[in-house]
Amino acid sequence: MSQAPAQYKKQDGIISLSDQGARAVLWKPNSGALHAVTIPVTDITNLQQTPVTAPKASIRISAQETHTFTLTSAAARDNQQAITGTLRKWIEASKSVQGGGAPVPTAPPAENGNGQSASMVMAQTASSATATARAEDDSFDDAKLLRDAELQRSLLSSNPALRHRFEQALGDKPDSITINQFNSQFWSTRLHNLRSHAAERAQGAGTYNVLSVVKPQEIDGGVKLNITKEQIQLIFAQHPLVKRVYNENVPPLKESEFWSRFFFSRLLKKLKGMKITDSDNVDPKLDKYLNLDDDPDFARQLDASAVPRFIDVEGNEQNHSQRLGNRADWTMQPNSYDKVPILRTLNRMSEKMMEYVPPSDGDRHGPAGMDEDTYKELQLRDLQRADDDNRVVLKIKDQGQLFAASQGLHTSSSAATYAKRTPAQVLSAVQRNFGGISGSNGGDGLDLQAAIGVVDDDSSSDEESASNKKIRIGSRSSRVAATLQINKAIRKRHLHNDDYLLSQNAASSEQAAQLGLSQSVFDTLTMTHNTTVEFLHYFWTVYFSGDPDRAIEIGKLVETLDKSLDRIKAVADSAEAERTAKVEKLVKDNETYTQRTGRRRKFDANSVTGGAKVVNNIASPLIRAIGSAKEQFEKALREQMGHSIA
Amino acid sequence: MNAIDGTDRHVKADDTPPPSLLAIVLDTNPHAWAHLSNTLPLSSAVANLLVFINAHLASGNANEVAVIASHSHKASWLYPTPKSATPSSSSHNGTSNSSTNPPAPPENPNKYRPFALVESAILSNLSHLLTSTTEAHLASTPTTLIGGALSLALSYIAKSTLLHSPLDTSLEATALSALADSETTHAVRIPLTSRILIISVSGDLANQYIPVMNSIFAAQRKRIPIDILKLAGDTVLLQQASDATGGVYMKPERPEGILQYLMMGFLPDVTARRSFVMPSAGGVDFRAACFCHRKVVDVGYVCSVCLSIFCEPTLPDNTCLTCGSYLSLRTAQTPQPALLPRKKKKKKRVAGGTDSTTPGGTPVGSGTPMHG
Ligand SMILES: [Zn+2]
Ligand SMILES: [Zn+2]
Repeated sequence: MSQAPAQYKKQDGIISLSDQGARAVLWKPNSGALHAVTIPVTDITNLQQTPVTAPKASIRISAQETHTFTLTSAAARDNQQAITGTLRKWIEASKSVQGGGAPVPTAPPAENGNGQSASMVMAQTASSATATARAEDDSFDDAKLLRDAELQRSLLSSNPALRHRFEQALGDKPDSITINQFNSQFWSTRLHNLRSHAAERAQGAGTYNVLSVVKPQEIDGGVKLNITKEQIQLIFAQHPLVKRVYNENVPPLKESEFWSRFFFSRLLKKLKGMKITDSDNVDPKLDKYLNLDDDPDFARQLDASAVPRFIDVEGNEQNHSQRLGNRADWTMQPNSYDKVPILRTLNRMSEKMMEYVPPSDGDRHGPAGMDEDTYKELQLRDLQRADDDNRVVLKIKDQGQLFAASQGLHTSSSAATYAKRTPAQVLSAVQRNFGGISGSNGGDGLDLQAAIGVVDDDSSSDEESASNKKIRIGSRSSRVAATLQINKAIRKRHLHNDDYLLSQNAASSEQAAQLGLSQSVFDTLTMTHNTTVEFLHYFWTVYFSGDPDRAIEIGKLVETLDKSLDRIKAVADSAEAERTAKVEKLVKDNETYTQRTGRRRKFDANSVTGGAKVVNNIASPLIRAIGSAKEQFEKALREQMGHSIA
Repeated sequence: MNAIDGTDRHVKADDTPPPSLLAIVLDTNPHAWAHLSNTLPLSSAVANLLVFINAHLASGNANEVAVIASHSHKASWLYPTPKSATPSSSSHNGTSNSSTNPPAPPENPNKYRPFALVESAILSNLSHLLTSTTEAHLASTPTTLIGGALSLALSYIAKSTLLHSPLDTSLEATALSALADSETTHAVRIPLTSRILIISVSGDLANQYIPVMNSIFAAQRKRIPIDILKLAGDTVLLQQASDATGGVYMKPERPEGILQYLMMGFLPDVTARRSFVMPSAGGVDFRAACFCHRKVVDVGYVCSVCLSIFCEPTLPDNTCLTCGSYLSLRTAQTPQPALLPRKKKKKKRVAGGTDSTTPGGTPVGSGTPMHG
């Protein structure tokens, strides 16, 4: 139970959180000057706290009216954190109940906190975000994303890999977990995907240069034109001239005839900015429009609206290269229309497209020119002479002062082994040993050949090994063992390098072949791995949720993990069966070979790769992960059972 | 004339591999070596190491070696012998200067002289280091000062690299050295490839997490692989060192075969390694050590300002221990204690409303202790 001394309306009292019956915030005065205050959690519309840097630790709770409590104890800050923390959870819980069930009972003020998760409420406490910013963020709120089944379906259909995983996991889920639970678990680990998908969907595609997209195809001498209604509308919007030509000609011409003529006309070439040559089709009906301007109104339109600041090249006038004597590039000179019509056309297209884009810098209908903020933003503050230094100075303390940096002998990880000898014994032993090679080397220095003990002649090594009762340093056996270990490590690295190369090409079939597994077994293994990882995710989310309501759920998840182990075993079994079949086939082949030729071929069954061993090897981290999840669960369960009995 | 001579050599040098500097950090922690005395005593390890050094020197005319002892109370040079650290009044022109570090080159006609020089320097310096170690030094620590030794190795490499291919600013210095020693001038402009080999026998290195990590990052920047031969002790930090710098990590199953490990695993220099598949470490333990207790943590808390790592979320005054910024980790504690009571009980509590303990009520549940 959280309770703490707190002032309310300048009266001392105790603030507490009550979980009895309906959850509520209680404040009881120490004296009788004021009435006690009770705020039911369901009524809370906003929760604010003073920032940690403020001198006073206060909590402001908005319900029907706003209450401000100032925490007064020595641990005021901690109390504040504890109370808001708990309240946050309660509010979240009550909101989620409200959100899932009937319409919210509370009156308009509740609108504020209605669909918002607690994290949003807390975000408000830190900075008073503007209403618009909040509304924008709101659509990406965790709880809302989790509830949006339509969004989830849309993401699944746009992402086949995710869909595959979803269906796989759905199929493997234990019956005891409801679809709803499964859904929320699946998506709660993928909120970021949902959020980005929601953001993606919120954006519409802009217009495009439609004339370059529509391409008539000549099939069997005839012309086939695929053009949609939307494309026609877009052509009219982008090229008013076409609209005019269409209006004036289509009653005599047929609709389809008009378009197929248009797409082979000189007019089209002109509108696309291509050069017209003599060999181009002549079309008396359309060619008479060739000299008309596509969009006479357009230039005026653009002048009228404000130029978005980030494409405003007005500023370039200051460093105008032409004034310094350089001629403009020929593509930029006026009246070069006939030389490079495409540049002009493309520029005009871009201008038109930009028209549809809402300006990113400021309100279109606001006053033209720069406001104060923009002006400040454009200033190069860093270069100003008398700028305030607003750096945050980072004071690094000497880390040696933190706790006990030094370690004693007894805290060592090797303490047990080191404890056998006293420092004096250690010192004399090492000095004596080392004295053996450093002191008595006479004038000739150390005889390295003797010192390293490598003697290739095995028979003569007996005499030396008498001095060292144990395995002799540099003996043949130890050298062979070392070689084996290094070779193993090299092979491992080699395989890893190949893995890396393969993953670049995603050629899993080669990987499977290298491991000696068939493609189908390899695929099953991959799938089993994916779903198991999925269930491990669920397990840990629920395990760490700390929610007793999900206690049953977590037991079920442990069962699921057990099943995953079975699934891995099944894959291993089928791989083993495959390998056995392979070995048998090889043995048979060899027998027929022997019968035919009378000679025996050497055959070693160990050289056939694959089988359960390979599968278990690959799955070993997974098995370990399941093991540790289960172990931790069982340990915690035992402890809590013990607590509840006591 | 000098110039003509120089260009001639320069052209010749181009088709040979660049000289290679091998900096060896030998962990001489007496505790660990005493413990190892039955399988691989220090004397044998040093003898094998000398053979390895000779192999390295023999594989390139211009190859160099540096050996540093990482001892329990200090890091100390074994080779090259530092030029009289204590400014002694006696001139060091004579063959023997002070009594503390006599180079004493043994005259053995059967030994290649550069080998003999390295050998005698290492043996005498190590012997001196061991005799100067006191019991008090050993009693104070179970581990070795690997961080300091690594820094020494890195700074020596940096210095040697400069000497081999000096920057423009140090042109004067090279001109002087050219005058002083005509042999070094030919090496000028030839890049030096360096690597570090740590022969480690101690555990408990998490203690020096910060300096070692800094050295690792420095080596990473300078493309100096750090090879590890781990004869004993826990592996946490050094495995990261070799992984981050692209070095070789070996933990011998049979330390008696040390020479084989050295020769097969560590002899190729950086140039040669481009053509080889080097042994792999397999799984690497990437865990970090907390700044507050220097213990290795599975889950830690990181200061958003200075990136210090802490093992527990309760910090005094909610401020970062290193930089003093405000750092409240209460909300970062996502893994709340897992509560697994039977559902029935929960129902009872809600219905009766008598049980006062709320699961989320107290800020940190005391029910389940959680260990990573
Ligand atoms: Zn700590
Ligand atoms: Zn910090």
